[in-house]
Amino acid sequence: MSRPAPSPVYTLRGASGAFNALHFSCHEGDTPLLFSGSGKGVIHLWNLNNRRAERIIEGHSGSSVIWVNTLHSADTLISQGRDMRVCLWNLSQGRSELMDSLSTESVGFCQCSLLETGEKTCLLAFAGQQTEELKIIELSSKALLCSLIPDSKLGMVMCVKLWQPQSGRGPLLLAGYEDGSLLLWDITQRSILSKTKVHLEPVMCLTFDPESLRGISASSENKLFSWILDGQNNLLLRDCVTLTNPGVSQLSIRGDGKLLASAGWDHRVRVFGWKKLRPLAVLQYHRDMVLSVAFSDHKDPRQRLLAAGSKDQRISLWSIYNEVPDTG
Amino acid sequence: MESPTLPPDVRLEVSQCFQSLTLSAPKQDAIRALQVLRSYLDETPENVNASVQKAEFRRSHFTRVLQFLVKNIQADWFHGLTAAQRSELWDGLFLWGPPEQTLLVLMEGISELRPGSNLDHLVSITEKFVQSGRLAALLWSYCLTTTGPVDSPQLREALLARIVALPDITANKLQHNNKPAFLPQQYYPLLAKEMLTALDRTCRALKDGTSCSLTFVAQTLGKLCAQGHGGLLLAVMTPKMSACTRTDMVWQRVCWKLLENVPQRWMESVLVGLVQAVHGPGALGRIMGNLVLKNKTAQFVITHKLLLLQYKYETRTLRVVLDYLAADKDRRPLLIQVLRCLCQAWANPSAVKHTPLEQQLYVSKALLLAVGLLEDAELQELRSELLQCMLGGMQSHLDSNVLRIRHMGMVVGECLSSRMNINGTKLKFEYEQDEETRDLVSLLTPSKMSESEPECDDGVSPPEESRENPPVCNGSSQNEREMASSKKEPGSDLDSDDEFTPYDMSGDQELKKASPPRYLRDCLENLISSEDPECVELSLRVAEGLVRKNVFATKEISVQLSKVLLHMEDKYSINGFRGLRQAAMVALVVSDAIPVTEFLNTEFYSLNYSLCQRLDILEVLAVAAQELSKPNPGNANPIVTTDQSPSSAEDTATCRQVVEKRIQAKTKRISQGASQPPAKATANRYAPVAGYFFFPLLRNYDKPQVTFDLLGSDHLVLGRLIHTLGIFMHLAVNAPVAAQMGRALLDFVWVVRYHADQIVRRSVVFAVCSVFMSMPTSNLLVDLADQIFETRSWLADVAEDDVDADCRSLAMQSLVLLDKSLKKQLQSPQALSIES
Repeated sequence: MSRPAPSPVYTLRGASGAFNALHFSCHEGDTPLLFSGSGKGVIHLWNLNNRRAERIIEGHSGSSVIWVNTLHSADTLISQGRDMRVCLWNLSQGRSELMDSLSTESVGFCQCSLLETGEKTCLLAFAGQQTEELKIIELSSKALLCSLIPDSKLGMVMCVKLWQPQSGRGPLLLAGYEDGSLLLWDITQRSILSKTKVHLEPVMCLTFDPESLRGISASSENKLFSWILDGQNNLLLRDCVTLTNPGVSQLSIRGDGKLLASAGWDHRVRVFGWKKLRPLAVLQYHRDMVLSVAFSDHKDPRQRLLAAGSKDQRISLWSIYNEVPDTG
Repeated sequence: MESPTLPPDVRLEVSQCFQSLTLSAPKQDAIRALQVLRSYLDETPENVNASVQKAEFRRSHFTRVLQFLVKNIQADWFHGLTAAQRSELWDGLFLWGPPEQTLLVLMEGISELRPGSNLDHLVSITEKFVQSGRLAALLWSYCLTTTGPVDSPQLREALLARIVALPDITANKLQHNNKPAFLPQQYYPLLAKEMLTALDRTCRALKDGTSCSLTFVAQTLGKLCAQGHGGLLLAVMTPKMSACTRTDMVWQRVCWKLLENVPQRWMESVLVGLVQAVHGPGALGRIMGNLVLKNKTAQFVITHKLLLLQYKYETRTLRVVLDYLAADKDRRPLLIQVLRCLCQAWANPSAVKHTPLEQQLYVSKALLLAVGLLEDAELQELRSELLQCMLGGMQSHLDSNVLRIRHMGMVVGECLSSRMNINGTKLKFEYEQDEETRDLVSLLTPSKMSESEPECDDGVSPPEESRENPPVCNGSSQNEREMASSKKEPGSDLDSDDEFTPYDMSGDQELKKASPPRYLRDCLENLISSEDPECVELSLRVAEGLVRKNVFATKEISVQLSKVLLHMEDKYSINGFRGLRQAAMVALVVSDAIPVTEFLNTEFYSLNYSLCQRLDILEVLAVAAQELSKPNPGNANPIVTTDQSPSSAEDTATCRQVVEKRIQAKTKRISQGASQPPAKATANRYAPVAGYFFFPLLRNYDKPQVTFDLLGSDHLVLGRLIHTLGIFMHLAVNAPVAAQMGRALLDFVWVVRYHADQIVRRSVVFAVCSVFMSMPTSNLLVDLADQIFETRSWLADVAEDDVDADCRSLAMQSLVLLDKSLKKQLQSPQALSIES
């Protein structure tokens, strides 16, 4: 007998716009925070203790915020808006001032990808001005490391993921394109390591687990495709999960690599076991497309949360599969 | 008896022996006398005079001698004989004399003697007699026409009776001390073997040129079969006969002659036993020959009685009979004739209505088998008749209310049309295949098995076995493969996702573009006017919930919504349309019983409804009445809380709950009684409105309309109507109105109690049953005094005579119910009078 479908722990509302992006920052000692970027260009800082918006930052001149993240602990916030700008905000000691901003010159929806490579150095990958162009910069110096343009016509870059392989070589970049193909770039060599056509429709989102070298991507179809990187860095298709309703806007893997969540266009968040992609739960609460989904980075596994931001101007928070496995 | 030419010394000597064997005779004399008598039976060749004397002794004196011996069995000299002397002299007289006389005397002796050692001795002699093949000698002696024993019809009759009834006579006399050899299970097979021996001797004699008569053996066979021992007898005889006749022409002739000589009155039982015992049509043909052409009784039995009048035989027997008719060109015309009869019987509309279903199935099988045996030329010849049979018969079958009969009609129609090949077109019906229909279809193809089977008499046919085996092997190997794969799977990924138990995901449905209506009026609006399939479907899906949610809103538009739902058609082939519609209508009736039932009841008898709609009305009313009569669950409904709170404050509480739950799960409760609270009493919602459901339906039933004639052709609706009324009655138990309802219902069904359709009859019995169950027993006698006894006799009639098995058992049940309640009623007045 399966358990009844879960309901959200609580919901956050009050923003007048769809929630395009979510990011948790729940370090020990600090107040657990949830950052959200809305369709009206507003970034909210939600305090998860009192469940209220602590600060509201309006920085992208009314254009939709499509990506938020934090740098070096939670003091620096980085956000990307449809005004073709990426902004850095200083949040320390209750401030919320614009530190820096740079222009991506891209009109697309592609969310940036951030990779912290050292104490103070970060790499940021984002779509460039040209259709297929990808740019990678060193964030502090804003120095352009490389600009990657594939030889063939693949359409716009839809999503990117920057990651550092454990083998010690230079960072690699996964990118999904408009024609449904996935490319694995070697940044240092500026070459394509592998290319495979996964979807029939544009790749809407992808996520990758560097530990198991497995990733998953989704498009506007009703299928999720998971793929794997073999020893020679070749992308190989592995599983396919069919969804009841088509369209996924975001995928997210929990920090411990056990759960995968998908933000569905059918107003539902689906939770899968990440190892075998076994469907575990369908979270029904929202009344419009779910645009973003994120797992919290709580140190204590029992406090972990799953947040889903939807077009219906709400964020729902869920607590599922937080049980610590019995040791006795 | 004795003729004057005989030398007198035989008689003298016999009477001298008798004198020396009297009760008080000395032992030496007795032995000498016995030796003299015994010497008459010796077969050693001697002079002519002696053999004449012996023949004289056998013919005239033997019976008397035996009778005398039996009478003097308690003589002193008898008990003084040594065992060897007794078996040589005394027993020898019985075992070596003419067997027919011995048998008669033995049987007479056994039935006259009182139990004791003398009787035991006689019984043991009879046992020896039976076991030492004397019966074969007896039968054989009657086969010899020239040198046979003295013959007279009376003697034969007596002899036959003794042979056939030997187990009965011994069992009656000896009761528990009966010998195993005399038990029917041993005696009749033995007798069968003796008869085969006699037949075998006859064959050999015929080959030697001696003429024989099989009349006595045939009579024995006939009498045995007629007395119901055919199964045991023929199970032994037919395999041997079938094997012998395959190679030996004389054996064939003997078998034919044997069957021809069976007296007319016993012919049927012999043939019936034979066709059931025989392995295949080939063997039957060899044993019977063309008996069906020569013997009228045989012809009637084979072509008529086995096929059209009786229906208890297996399909194998049917196949044997029809294949037998088809196998020989002389018998072929009979097959055609049989086919014509079968066609008529199958297509007869009255037979479809009035014969038991099993018989119809039997006739259908026979028809298909016969058609399968036809050759193309014959088929051409019979085409018009077959076509007529098919069309007429199918119509009457499809008109029937019984599903199995309709299926039968469809299958037979399909098979006939495919066999006749009318311009390459075939009939094709949609029906669910089950074992019965598949059986029927398979009959059309003449089976190879029946041809191969008679060749091997062990009953095991190797081709069949080899055909059976591979799939079994496949199945097991498949299983093994599956098991192997399932074993492999978990091994590949041990630390799987199994640590997480999935939540209920049944809510994960396809997303609908339109949203379901929130208010009942919107729902009604959509159902009336919307052209959007999705919208209609959603409205229909939520209709039941909306109706139940807001009873006040429902009451405003209940009749209107009922009307819309009643007229609604499944235009968009919505999944589960009928169920949804019915559920919504039931909810309407439950929420607003009086106006909606009034509406539905008037609509039931009004113009321009399809039968389907009328049946729907009945069904809705019945389901609604059922729901109303159940205790209302709405009052005592604990609010289900989902405990999903993650806050750590409650952690200890949830822990305790978990522990408690586990303890609960592990605990075995021996007595469940106290753990559940007693059911709360709630008011019966059906009782006050039962009359509104019930009485309007009794009106107007006899007013035929253009489209609806309840007492005429629409008997399906009539059956459902009565059944529904029965349900109303049954649910109205303990309601004050039940007594009136019961009386009205009995009045109503009285008119149709002998309806031609079994569905109607069945529901009538059901309704009567529910009257007896629901009416207060006190009212039963008082109110229905005049009707109840008529009903009782009618029920007894149905229980005995009805064609339909269900009707019979239902009638039995209601008789029992009636008797029970009557008995209760007749006992209780005394109790009442004492109290008052």
